[in-house]
Amino acid sequence: MSAATVSRKRPRTVRPGTVLAVIALVVVSAVVLLPIAIIVFTAFKPTAEVNAFPPSLLPDEWTLDNLKQITSELPFLRLIGNSFAFAGGVTAFALVFDSLAAYALARMDFTGRRVLLIAIIATLMIPFQATLIPLYQLVSDLGWVNTYAALIAPRAADAFGIFFLRQFFLALPRDIDAAARIDGASEFRIFRSVVLPNAMPALLTLGLFTFVNNWNDLLWPLVFTTDSEMGTITSGLTLLTGPGGIIPHGVMMAGSLIAILPLVVAFLLIQRRFIENIATTGLK
Amino acid sequence: MTRMRSLLGAGAAALTLIGAGCSGGGDDGGPVELTFWHGYTEADGDVLEGIVDDFNASHDDITINTEVKTWDSIDDTLLTALSAGEGPNIVAMPAERLPVYASKGAFAPLDDFYADEGGNTANLNPGAVAMEEVEGTKYGVPSGFVPLAVYYNTAMFEEAGIDGFPQTWDEWVEAAKKLTVDENGDGTPERYGVALPDHATVANGLWPSLFYGNGGGIVQDGEAVIDSPQNAETLEFWRSAIAGDKISPTGLDGIGSDELFSGGKAAMTVGGPWMASIATENDIDYAIAPIPAGPETQAASAIGISMATTVDSSDAELAGAEEFFSFFLNDENSVKWSLGSGWPPLRTDIPAEAVAENPVVAALTEMSDLGRPLLPGVVNSVDVLSAVDELTQKAVAGEDVGALLGEAQTEIQNALED
Amino acid sequence: MSVDNAPARRYRPPAPLGGRRRASCGGLLRRNTRAFAFLAPALIILGLFVVWPMISALRLSFTDASGFGREEWVGLENYATVFTDPDILNAVGNTLLYTVLFTPTAVIAALGLALLLNSPHMPFRSFFRTALFIPFVVSFAVAAFAWSYLIDPQVGLLNYWLGGLGIQMGNVLEDPTLAMPAVAFVAVWKLFGFYFVIFLAGLQDIPSSLYEAARVDGARAWSRLRHITLPLLSNTMAFVLIFAMIAALQAFDQIYVMTGGGPYGNTQTVVMEIYESGFRKLDIGFASALSYVLLIATLVLSLVQFLFFGRREKDLSS
Repeated sequence: MSAATVSRKRPRTVRPGTVLAVIALVVVSAVVLLPIAIIVFTAFKPTAEVNAFPPSLLPDEWTLDNLKQITSELPFLRLIGNSFAFAGGVTAFALVFDSLAAYALARMDFTGRRVLLIAIIATLMIPFQATLIPLYQLVSDLGWVNTYAALIAPRAADAFGIFFLRQFFLALPRDIDAAARIDGASEFRIFRSVVLPNAMPALLTLGLFTFVNNWNDLLWPLVFTTDSEMGTITSGLTLLTGPGGIIPHGVMMAGSLIAILPLVVAFLLIQRRFIENIATTGLK
Repeated sequence: MTRMRSLLGAGAAALTLIGAGCSGGGDDGGPVELTFWHGYTEADGDVLEGIVDDFNASHDDITINTEVKTWDSIDDTLLTALSAGEGPNIVAMPAERLPVYASKGAFAPLDDFYADEGGNTANLNPGAVAMEEVEGTKYGVPSGFVPLAVYYNTAMFEEAGIDGFPQTWDEWVEAAKKLTVDENGDGTPERYGVALPDHATVANGLWPSLFYGNGGGIVQDGEAVIDSPQNAETLEFWRSAIAGDKISPTGLDGIGSDELFSGGKAAMTVGGPWMASIATENDIDYAIAPIPAGPETQAASAIGISMATTVDSSDAELAGAEEFFSFFLNDENSVKWSLGSGWPPLRTDIPAEAVAENPVVAALTEMSDLGRPLLPGVVNSVDVLSAVDELTQKAVAGEDVGALLGEAQTEIQNALED
Repeated sequence: MSVDNAPARRYRPPAPLGGRRRASCGGLLRRNTRAFAFLAPALIILGLFVVWPMISALRLSFTDASGFGREEWVGLENYATVFTDPDILNAVGNTLLYTVLFTPTAVIAALGLALLLNSPHMPFRSFFRTALFIPFVVSFAVAAFAWSYLIDPQVGLLNYWLGGLGIQMGNVLEDPTLAMPAVAFVAVWKLFGFYFVIFLAGLQDIPSSLYEAARVDGARAWSRLRHITLPLLSNTMAFVLIFAMIAALQAFDQIYVMTGGGPYGNTQTVVMEIYESGFRKLDIGFASALSYVLLIATLVLSLVQFLFFGRREKDLSS
């Protein structure tokens, strides 16, 4: 990588600017991570400590009661399985369909390209609450209520993903497919064997984005699955709300921890590839 | 598309095998299957499931399948489901939400059911029945009706040397002052005498209760009546107690008050029956008392839950639903439901002894006749309640009560005329 | 890999459409067919599940539909209400305020941190990058819940710590002036990590040879930022700005959880009004009309940004 090459040439001296920057980054990271810490630690606090004053970050006494309550009140393994099926299904389809469309919009000439692009972006500008009723009627007409099809199919392609990948494909050098074109490779072959492999960081980014957003979506699974067995972990957490709308903080934080843990693990697993390589794009 | 659909279908089928039951009627055309959405998620939910099971066992031709959701998500999902004819046959919801659905034609009228003696509705609490009526027609059957009450920390009362629960507003404020503790004298008490939320109160009922106490109200006979000298007095009185005497924090909402009480940072809260179990969970010794009488009268806004039958039901399904309602309201189940849910019996002819074994229910049953339905028959309760919230929150924050009442009057009247 | 040809690839404009189109009609047809074969799956999904419901919603916006049962044509009545109802006008004002608070803050924070963490000399670079992205995986509901707990006036840890430093936050979410900044801040916290990653991508896409050349010319850091980094980032910047703005104009989730639109409707946004009129008052006709007004407003604001940033780089609208 060029950046690494450059850095090796320069003498490593710690400048005051760098020290200041590191201090600033430590402060920012601490603020950014504080809510995460409160979720993790509150999940292990006994009820009495959750509402105690003065508050503390760490529990005085660690307890698994909150987690136990989740496992007894919610079929959480099933809910997590549903979440994986829903978010994973949407992500898999969307990556394929979005990248195909983005390829055409970025690297092929055809009539009406600009209008189509604007139309696609415009679909993002209407809040989804507005189209929920007509969409539900359609899904119901298809007989899909309470199925994975209802959860996944309407999101199997999305305008954000198409636009995101299009921007990325535009930035890929045209030269990379020249050789394949001279060899007479088909457009699809160029897409699959030349462009896609070069777009892995972007696909990972978009994949993570799509997966996270769907995993975290609350209203969508609530609306399309009336059967609680079909719910996701995120929609299932609403059932922890107590009578009178009181949310037991410890239990809810434990539920939140269970809900975000798979995402954090997934993220940490791919983060090297993801954050480090995100845009080394055409430089491979 | 076909290919994708079949792929997805296969996935869905595989998961059905794991145990997801698909909703929908039986294929053999025989027995009636009903779906019933409700939001009873606690011990009350178990009792309700028990009653439904008994009903299914005693009715060969009717099967009710329940789906438990939160009250909020019932509201979020009922509309979409109804829009596509996928709605439940029976739905339970907070009573103030019933009129808007009824007025848009979502629910089947139940006047005939009420007229029928077999329905067990003759002795229902009249306040509870009033919640079900929209423009002269009844659309629901109450599954819960309980006046807001004061839940208080008996240990704190003892420590402060207060004998007997206050009977009037003045006594109430005096007691609250004694119970308020500001040890370090920084002007912010460590413990409040009472938690009185100034917006989003429990079941939106605190301020209506206080207005009633001084002879005021919000809506009467379809007209806004909030701008009255009585209400102005009420607001002034409680503002001086909350903001002046600091018996309660300002800017509090209903959930916040319940949390203050359960966290031992308030000696009293105005709440619903669930406060009993929450207090027990938090090791708080508590007792229940009616909201003290105001200068004019003693009354409390009630928390109500209604069950209704939706238009997504066939005649046979409607008949089945009505059969369930009368089963739910029969002698045996009235008692069972009351004891199990912790809410007072819905029928006034259930003798007090029948529920004496549950002290919470017994206490709440005693004050049942204080309960008044919240905004019965008001279709646009959303805007009315938000106008009341804005009024009370701004009043407590110190704005001019007269001007606020004028604004609220206009907004509420507009909402009623919508 | 070749650093030398990087600038060239960057600036090569897309092949002109006109020239080849004139060349052969059959070629045009073939090209169009081929392109639409790539587009078809996405267009079918979007057409069926997004555009068709949008068209239905447009029709509903001229009716008094409740979502079920009877409905009547009411012409432009719903649209007239949008522009006259004081609650709606209040929500529009709030939404604009939220957009102004959220968008620049999130974008500048993301850009600044990306610039810092793009430098290969930054110690613990990998750790910081990971830490900053983590909030993005937390749902809005959980984020709202955790922040509400942290700043709770009674038991909030952050309130307590800041109180120890002599800073009294009070009841932020019930404060008419502080509530909106607070809910906007939670959105910044949740979303800036994603914009940060996109900026990192954009930065790494800038060929280092340009910086080398600038250094040889003696350009200082600020000058390099001003004349190389920012111009070459304008494409990324436009992308991030537009999506941050769309997110801001549709603000809903964390506000619904944290303040419910209060105090006194001071955090009530347009999408909250849409939700309330649709799902609480069962007035789908009005909710649809309001949604279309929001769509048009968003479109106009986006086009303004396209034009502003498009001057530098035609890529975006080509």
